[in-house]
Amino acid sequence: MSSLEQYLQLYHAEKQRIAAGSCAPLNALREEQLALLEKHGLPTKRNEEYLYTDVEAALAPDYGVNLNRSVPAIDPYQTYRCAVPNLSTWLYFVVNDVVMPSEGHAAPLPEGVVVETLCQAAAKKTDFIAKFYHRAAGKNYDGIAAINTLLAQDGILVHISKGVQLKKPIQIVNVSAAKNDLMMNRRILVVVEEGAQGSILLCDHAEGEQNHLSTQVVEVFAAPHAQLDIYSIEETKSTNTRFSNLYTEQAAESNISYTNVTLTNGNTRNRAEFRLLGENAKVEARGALMTDAEERVDNYLLVDHAVPQCTSEMLYKYVINGKSTAAFTGKVLVREGAQKSLSEQINANLLASPEARVLTQPMLEIYADDVKCNHGSSIGKMDENALFYMRQRGIAEQEARLLLQQAFVNEVLNHVKMEQLRDRLTHLVEMRFRGELSPCQGCKMCR
Amino acid sequence: MLEIKNLHASVEGKEILKGVNLTIGDGEVHVLMGPNGSGKSTLSHVLVGNPKYTVTEGSITFNGKDLLELSPEDRSHEGIFMSFQAPIEIPGVSMTNFLRAAVNAKRKYFGEEPIAAGDFLKMLKEKRKLVGLDAHFMSRGVNEGFSGGERKRNEIFQMAVLEPKFSILDETDSGLDVDALRIVAEGFNLLRTPQTSAMVITHYQRMLDYLKPDFVHVLVNGQIVKEGDASLGYAIEEKGFDWIKEELK
Repeated sequence: MSSLEQYLQLYHAEKQRIAAGSCAPLNALREEQLALLEKHGLPTKRNEEYLYTDVEAALAPDYGVNLNRSVPAIDPYQTYRCAVPNLSTWLYFVVNDVVMPSEGHAAPLPEGVVVETLCQAAAKKTDFIAKFYHRAAGKNYDGIAAINTLLAQDGILVHISKGVQLKKPIQIVNVSAAKNDLMMNRRILVVVEEGAQGSILLCDHAEGEQNHLSTQVVEVFAAPHAQLDIYSIEETKSTNTRFSNLYTEQAAESNISYTNVTLTNGNTRNRAEFRLLGENAKVEARGALMTDAEERVDNYLLVDHAVPQCTSEMLYKYVINGKSTAAFTGKVLVREGAQKSLSEQINANLLASPEARVLTQPMLEIYADDVKCNHGSSIGKMDENALFYMRQRGIAEQEARLLLQQAFVNEVLNHVKMEQLRDRLTHLVEMRFRGELSPCQGCKMCR
Repeated sequence: MLEIKNLHASVEGKEILKGVNLTIGDGEVHVLMGPNGSGKSTLSHVLVGNPKYTVTEGSITFNGKDLLELSPEDRSHEGIFMSFQAPIEIPGVSMTNFLRAAVNAKRKYFGEEPIAAGDFLKMLKEKRKLVGLDAHFMSRGVNEGFSGGERKRNEIFQMAVLEPKFSILDETDSGLDVDALRIVAEGFNLLRTPQTSAMVITHYQRMLDYLKPDFVHVLVNGQIVKEGDASLGYAIEEKGFDWIKEELK
């Protein structure tokens, strides 16, 4: 049986239970996704977007699925008590793929800001969820997004109303904590209305010794003049396989920044599609990763300049150690008529071990003639002259290597606007390089 | 303090030093002169243990210790400092973090606790004044975006912070205008004590004026061929090296 067949069989056998544990706007899309999956299947390595991730192999193990929506018997607000020093957030937990009750824990949100489960929201405003759910993720067929949409039963809605300026970040902590092998299908929908501003911090953690597979689809809709900063931090472990798909759609004059940091993981595939649909929209996408041992990370980016005068900036920096593999694919599509598009893409890699592997593939596809697009990628080793300079000053070789590696990714972290978060991330990266970052001992991101 | 005996060294298989003998006592400043390619920088790099250079013969003793047995970082802890001819840029590692790592590494070597944050910043401030280095350089990456003159000042500043026993100044004066040269040389002079010594590589009379060296050595083709007091330096400044080469024939 192929990997795909086991999911299709699961769906056929359990469609009533899946629907019963979900709600109308989500259920409405399942049959269509089923048909698409049957027609197109899962991506293979023949698919240019999936050259560096073996989806078939990643989805092959027989994971359980929590169809009954049983709520894990833990209070995450106790177990994973979180407080980034000096950084207070509106905090929500998703344990496995269940959105945990936040009543009595999260302080009341400001007026005009809603964070609730998709199905809670659907009960009040079905049309709203139906309007946005899977609208961005469904534009281009993707096998992972299709499986997620076929099976996902709930998720989180973040809705920031017109003109609201959210001062604190909304933090969503995903914890993979199942005591059995489990597949988790997570969903986040973010709607930022005209002129609204906010930030979202997504943290992925894992505990236990079991194998966990997560698929996550995050959709973000930014109305004119909206501004959103998205931070996505992964700190999982070797037993985790993660597929995370982010889709953003931006109206005129909107700004989105996205920062993706992979601290520890198993096998990760991050896909991000940014669609610039209104003039003068701007997206900044940055990533940092430091892989070690047998870790694998594959970042795929697509920026779609659909209209004139938009700006995209991409900066991804990798430090690759051990026998790990990291891949970067960055595709910038400038559509016909999208004049005055500005795009800059950089992927810089520091190969810190002879057995590590990096694959980098910048791509430009341009159908307009008055644009300015740059891209570049580099793969280098440690600067021996800098190492010696530091040793002459008394810094031990190992320490000098650590400082150089940190400095390399700090260029990405320095763009983080929130000072406390920037400091925290810098600290976590330092711990990671020192080998002092053990997988989630109760939400390290926050402690 | 330092005793170099019959030192032979090569880089990329090519022998550059061909039997150098040099003794430097406590509190002495020695100037090393010589034509381009004579081995001055090679000698400096061999003293600090640059792995690109291979010592094939001879010995170096530093305060009773066999220097060639020590790693570059341990040589630094023992008190050897080199002001680089071309200081290296290290983007992303701030001057403050760089120096804190260096200072604490030395303290650790001598079994001391890391320096307290307040003491460290106070010390940096005092030392910056010596060479007129502005505070904003401390948050920049090491030598990142520094002008040539600022880099050289930064070398002397680091020397002030690390308080070495023996300093090597490898053409620290090159690329400096007269004012910057004065600041660097005066800074260096302020750091001198009867217990500290230095080996200075220079081509310029002005540097001799400031440093008032005890000895001048001339290195030609990997060997020290002439030694004297400061007057030898002035003679070279006036007449070049050819007359020395003539004497050798």
